[in-house]
Amino acid sequence: MAAAGSLRRAGWGLLRCPPVLRCPAQRAFYASALMRRASDEQKQELPPSSSQQRYESHPPGDRPDQEPQRSHHSYTDQGGEESEDYESEEQLQQRILTAALKFVPAHGWTADAIAEGAKSLGLSVAAAGMFHTDGSELILHFVSQCNSELSNLLEQQQKLVQLGQAEKKKTDQFLRDAVEARLRMLIPYIEKWPQAVSILLLPHNIPASLNLLTSMVDDMWHYAGDQSTDINWYTRRAVLAGIYNTTELVMMQDSSSDFEETWHFLENRIADAMTMGHTAKQVQSTGEALVQGLMGAAVTVKNLAGLNQRR
Amino acid sequence: MTLDNINKPDIDRIIRVDHAGEYGANRIYAGQMAVLGRTTVGPVIQQMWNQEKDHLKKFNELMVTFRVRPTILLPFWNVAGFALGAGTALLGKEGAMACTVAVEESISAHYNNQMRTLMEEDPEKYKELLQIIKKFRDDELEHHDIGLDHDAELAPAYSLLKTAIQIGCKAAIFLSERI
Repeated sequence: MAAAGSLRRAGWGLLRCPPVLRCPAQRAFYASALMRRASDEQKQELPPSSSQQRYESHPPGDRPDQEPQRSHHSYTDQGGEESEDYESEEQLQQRILTAALKFVPAHGWTADAIAEGAKSLGLSVAAAGMFHTDGSELILHFVSQCNSELSNLLEQQQKLVQLGQAEKKKTDQFLRDAVEARLRMLIPYIEKWPQAVSILLLPHNIPASLNLLTSMVDDMWHYAGDQSTDINWYTRRAVLAGIYNTTELVMMQDSSSDFEETWHFLENRIADAMTMGHTAKQVQSTGEALVQGLMGAAVTVKNLAGLNQRR
Repeated sequence: MTLDNINKPDIDRIIRVDHAGEYGANRIYAGQMAVLGRTTVGPVIQQMWNQEKDHLKKFNELMVTFRVRPTILLPFWNVAGFALGAGTALLGKEGAMACTVAVEESISAHYNNQMRTLMEEDPEKYKELLQIIKKFRDDELEHHDIGLDHDAELAPAYSLLKTAIQIGCKAAIFLSERI
């Protein structure tokens, strides 16, 4: 329960109606997910228990009843300097945002959804005042959560392959499945997703959203088995980010059943990327063969002209 | 020392800059061999080059294990390293040796700094990495001494050349850590 000690902050008693017993362990991971993407230092605060939590995937917003038991442990933590029902501001925010997601299909990515979310937790609707009015934090929280879920999924698949219980997929198939799995997480919110994308493109959100995109793409390539340590590291990630973004755009306008056209589009883009890779390799080896041919010709000419003789 | 318990930002920088350094050193020796490969000093340079290749291989492995991003300046170090090696080699074998002395001195000091940083932080946790860096530092010092043995100090404008190269190395280290 080091998490409890390390994440305690000034309270928000004003905004809370009933006294609440909360366990920070699970929250700690989400509390960190958003902040950590932007700032590396906070990664060091990552409590050891959370490295186990990465392997648990769980749906957002419904962790009701483990708290009362765990809070007893937290009482003895860190000299028991604060009472058990303390949670940090970040943890509270994460809880509210998670709860708010349920209301997004109805209210959009807005302060209204956040207010409804707070209400559903028994907190005052004024809690929505903790966040910006444009819904940025809600969207970033959602994206961060989806990325974590994807990470867990890929990690589990990797374990299965290592245990020999599953076949290792080829790169293009792997990337296709990873992008599809990630995009499918948008399906419940697809109506309001265009609004979210436009908010993520606002200048003050670009660092955070770019960070989330790059770490997602890095994760996908890592689990796909990328081991490049040269400029390919960059080109591969850039290409995959492009594929992901264009497929996301197609998905928002797709009205086919179960988004078949989107997956078809994705398949074609990945095939293009693979072809591009092969073509680049072929060009390089052709170039090398050409240079060798020219060098050979030059040496031959030198020999014929008698310039290569030793005296 | 696992992916989960390290100080990721610091280790990132360390591995990124060391990888770039070994990559650059490889290219410098390649440039020198291109000019001086068929002279008497060729085998000496070849041997030092082989050791640098081993170093690079090790950092490639560490880079993958710790999911470190390579510096985006690698194509630039590719060309600049080769140009430096070939350029100094054109000054003669003493020039090439002077370049070796300058670069290896910079790299050894740099590795020493890194070792100090890691030891201040947690010598136990980073034991493996410390051992690797220590071994590589010893190899680089050996190259430095070989360079001196092969008349590096007789190179034209030795101190000017050495200072210029070392300033370049410092700039390269600074940039590769960050970009």
